[in-house]
Amino acid sequence: MSELRPASASEVASMLRDLASAKTSVRIRGLGTRDRLCVPAPKGAAILSLRAMSAIERLEPDDLTCSVQPGVTCRQLADALTRAQLELDCLDADDLGTIGGLYASDPLPAASPHAASPRSTLLGIDGALMEGLEFRSGARVVKSVAGFDVHRLLVGSRGRLFAATLLHLKLRPAPKAKVAFESPPSDVVLATKLLHTLRIDASSPKRLMLLRENGVAMVCGVASGNPRQVASLLVRHGLREATAAKRPHLSAPDVGHELVVGCVRPSRLLDLVAALPAEAPLLAHGGGHFETMLTPSRSDALVAAMPRIGGHAVVALGANARIGVGTHLDVGAERLQRELRSALDPRALLA
Amino acid sequence: MKSVVDELEALLGPNRTIHSRDALLAWECDGFTIHREPPLAVVFPESTTEVQAVLRILSKNGVPFVPRGAGTCLSGGPTPVGPSVVVELARMNRVLDVDAVDRSALVQPGVVNLDLTTHVKHLSLHYAPDPSSQSVCTIGGNVAENSGGPHCFKYGMTVDHLIGATVVLPDGQLAQLGTESGPRPPQGLDLLGVFCGSEGTFGICTEIRVRLSTDQPAVRTLLASFADMTSACRAVSDIVGRGLVPAALEILDQATIRAVEASVYKAGYPEDAAAVLLVEFDGEEETLDEEAGQTRQVFAHHDALRIEEATDPRERLRLWKGRKGAFGAMGRLSTDLYVLDGVVPRTKLVEALEGIYAIGKKHFVVLTNVFHAGDGNLHPNISYDGRNTEETARVVQAGHEILELCVKLGGSVSGEHGIGTEKINHMPLMYRPQDLDVMARVRRAFDKEGLCNPGKVLPNRSACAESQKWPAMIARVLGEDAAR
Ligand SMILES: Cc1cc2nc3c(=O)[nH]c(=O)nc-3n(C[C@H](O)[C@H](O)[C@H](O)COP(=O)(O)OP(=O)(O)OC[C@H]3O[C@@H](n4cnc5c(N)ncnc54)[C@H](O)[C@@H]3O)c2cc1C
Repeated sequence: MSELRPASASEVASMLRDLASAKTSVRIRGLGTRDRLCVPAPKGAAILSLRAMSAIERLEPDDLTCSVQPGVTCRQLADALTRAQLELDCLDADDLGTIGGLYASDPLPAASPHAASPRSTLLGIDGALMEGLEFRSGARVVKSVAGFDVHRLLVGSRGRLFAATLLHLKLRPAPKAKVAFESPPSDVVLATKLLHTLRIDASSPKRLMLLRENGVAMVCGVASGNPRQVASLLVRHGLREATAAKRPHLSAPDVGHELVVGCVRPSRLLDLVAALPAEAPLLAHGGGHFETMLTPSRSDALVAAMPRIGGHAVVALGANARIGVGTHLDVGAERLQRELRSALDPRALLA
Repeated sequence: MKSVVDELEALLGPNRTIHSRDALLAWECDGFTIHREPPLAVVFPESTTEVQAVLRILSKNGVPFVPRGAGTCLSGGPTPVGPSVVVELARMNRVLDVDAVDRSALVQPGVVNLDLTTHVKHLSLHYAPDPSSQSVCTIGGNVAENSGGPHCFKYGMTVDHLIGATVVLPDGQLAQLGTESGPRPPQGLDLLGVFCGSEGTFGICTEIRVRLSTDQPAVRTLLASFADMTSACRAVSDIVGRGLVPAALEILDQATIRAVEASVYKAGYPEDAAAVLLVEFDGEEETLDEEAGQTRQVFAHHDALRIEEATDPRERLRLWKGRKGAFGAMGRLSTDLYVLDGVVPRTKLVEALEGIYAIGKKHFVVLTNVFHAGDGNLHPNISYDGRNTEETARVVQAGHEILELCVKLGGSVSGEHGIGTEKINHMPLMYRPQDLDVMARVRRAFDKEGLCNPGKVLPNRSACAESQKWPAMIARVLGEDAAR
């Protein structure tokens, strides 16, 4: 498969236009770190990699905004923000991928009730449709409700609606203190209780997770803000400082297993636990997102149980034919997704 | 043949279907009174099923409709453009479920914003988005407009507090947007994100799951007055530059202060000040001392004339009373008020305000300013007499130039009030034809026939052709005799 590497928005548009005229399917990617989480591109599809578009075009510390090309890596932006004493709420500096990929795959909607999700930090985009039409949506300022927020459709779209060629992002001043923490190991019931207590704390941590591995559970995350406030949060809930923050994702699944991701109301977390085998690893975020690793038959059982539990579960990583197997969307939402795809990419060439 | 109104009346009964001309005048406009147009009828459904049935009747007959909450919109959103039926949702006003563990509530769209906070107060919870109209406006209207408010600087806009919504699409089909637990299912698009802020043009939301926030243990409110607006704006930049994140940062100019002080919203603001800056922090008591201390230093550095600090709830209410009542107080200045809503990068506030005052002078209009300074979201208010057409024309022209200036400074024509009909001609200031084309495609994905709140947000290139269909439409809705 050939990989095209446009260096500018107009090159993206003209390449897409040419591919559209040739009726060639296209897979848009950044560095390709999340490729294995996607259904493989159809045979003969062109790869449009945005990795060469890697400039931070604008960083305005006083306005708390920046504009970045999609190929900027998460690490690159995190470093620039650290230097300017700023932060982007949904950014994971250890993420090996690009900013475009982060927003398009939205691997972790709100990490805790207090954290901004990618949806909340994306102020606007410049983009290009498959037919080569360049467009703009949203604004560069921290607040704008002018027009329809087409840019929000980037979040979680996995490159199937359009290519974003510039992203305008909302930043925050870097917190004065940022501390990785963890609770003493316990059983999953106790850990769930602690997760709930932390979720409803007025100073709830920005990243908050319940992690169960090898039958042992703990609550961990990152608390940030005023140093005194952070210290008192840790003391109040019997948490200790951790040497390093735990990754917000489970690692690749063992042989014979697949990675299942989903969302569940936090109050139903124990119902989710009950639907999983005791030995299955589980990472549940305070915002409702969860990840687990199961054999295909157990994944199917979980998917079947989700309507009762409430929420969604989908195979994110596994055998090609299994990726995307999961709970169904509501009929009306399905229809809207179809209509949106056909409005923006009528020939369904973005794969 | 049965008219559409007959069908609606058969569905909802005569008490929930209004079509007498006099009564309809109450629905001829919202807070943007420059545009007035009464609907053909107003209906009051009370459930999702009834909304579905109403929309099925309307779509079957090709009749446009306009969703409406409390009608406090300031951009003409719930005002008809052409013959339409208003679907008023104010009677769908029940809080259906509160989940204290999940920190969420399921509400009908007609629930008044502040009523939700009152409803969950005993759980030490609140609903964070707080438009100044919160004692009247509805959550459905907030979702449609993606409303903000003074505390959005720290807590975000309506979209940041939405988990899911049940939406009746224009042809009556139901769609669940978001999920019970998060705004986007793992395999889906962020439909809820794009629906929020669509100004009632994508469908009618009939149930909304919102995130509730935990009350902060303590709040500290400071008010500083300044001899000039520039110092007040620079103080805002300094506060943010120090890495402080106040919950709110609001500025009122001298004309606003004087209007407030002469009104029932009198809050004891110093009338000799050119501007007052209201800053609020929330969090744990001991951190507030530190933050308030640093803020006082900033105030002093910018030569504040006077600093007040509220330490108890009564004092806090007093300091906020003037800000919350500012729009109401403008009623003293003239019969009508045009509230603008431009945004500029915060670093351009001084420049923007200088330009705005100059535009006001040029057009001889009475102009006051009260704004969300932390977000650079300006609300220049122009008081005028709407009965005077020459004055109204000057007001509209001044408004246009102000928004033009905001865009020129890198900002937006609307921070929270929406486009509606008011700013429809300002959209090309921000967006090129191809940008508007992509927005129109997204709109058509929700509303193929263009029946849902037509004539809003996007400049309509086929308005003339549309209007030729109006006589036949009126006859269909009201019946041949009534239409004559
Ligand atoms: C004094 C005053 C102060 C204000 N302060 C603020 C402020 O601080 N911040 C701010 O953001 N706004 C503010 N506003 C503007 C206004 O209050 C908001 O836009 C509010 O959200 C409108 O709510 P509503 O119930 O009045 O909706 P309406 O005015 O009735 O309708 C607004 C729009 O929403 C659509 N709509 C209503 N209900 C639904 C539904 N269920 N489904 C789909 N579409 C629907 C309508 O078609 C219309 O386009 C203020 C207004 C006033 C008069």
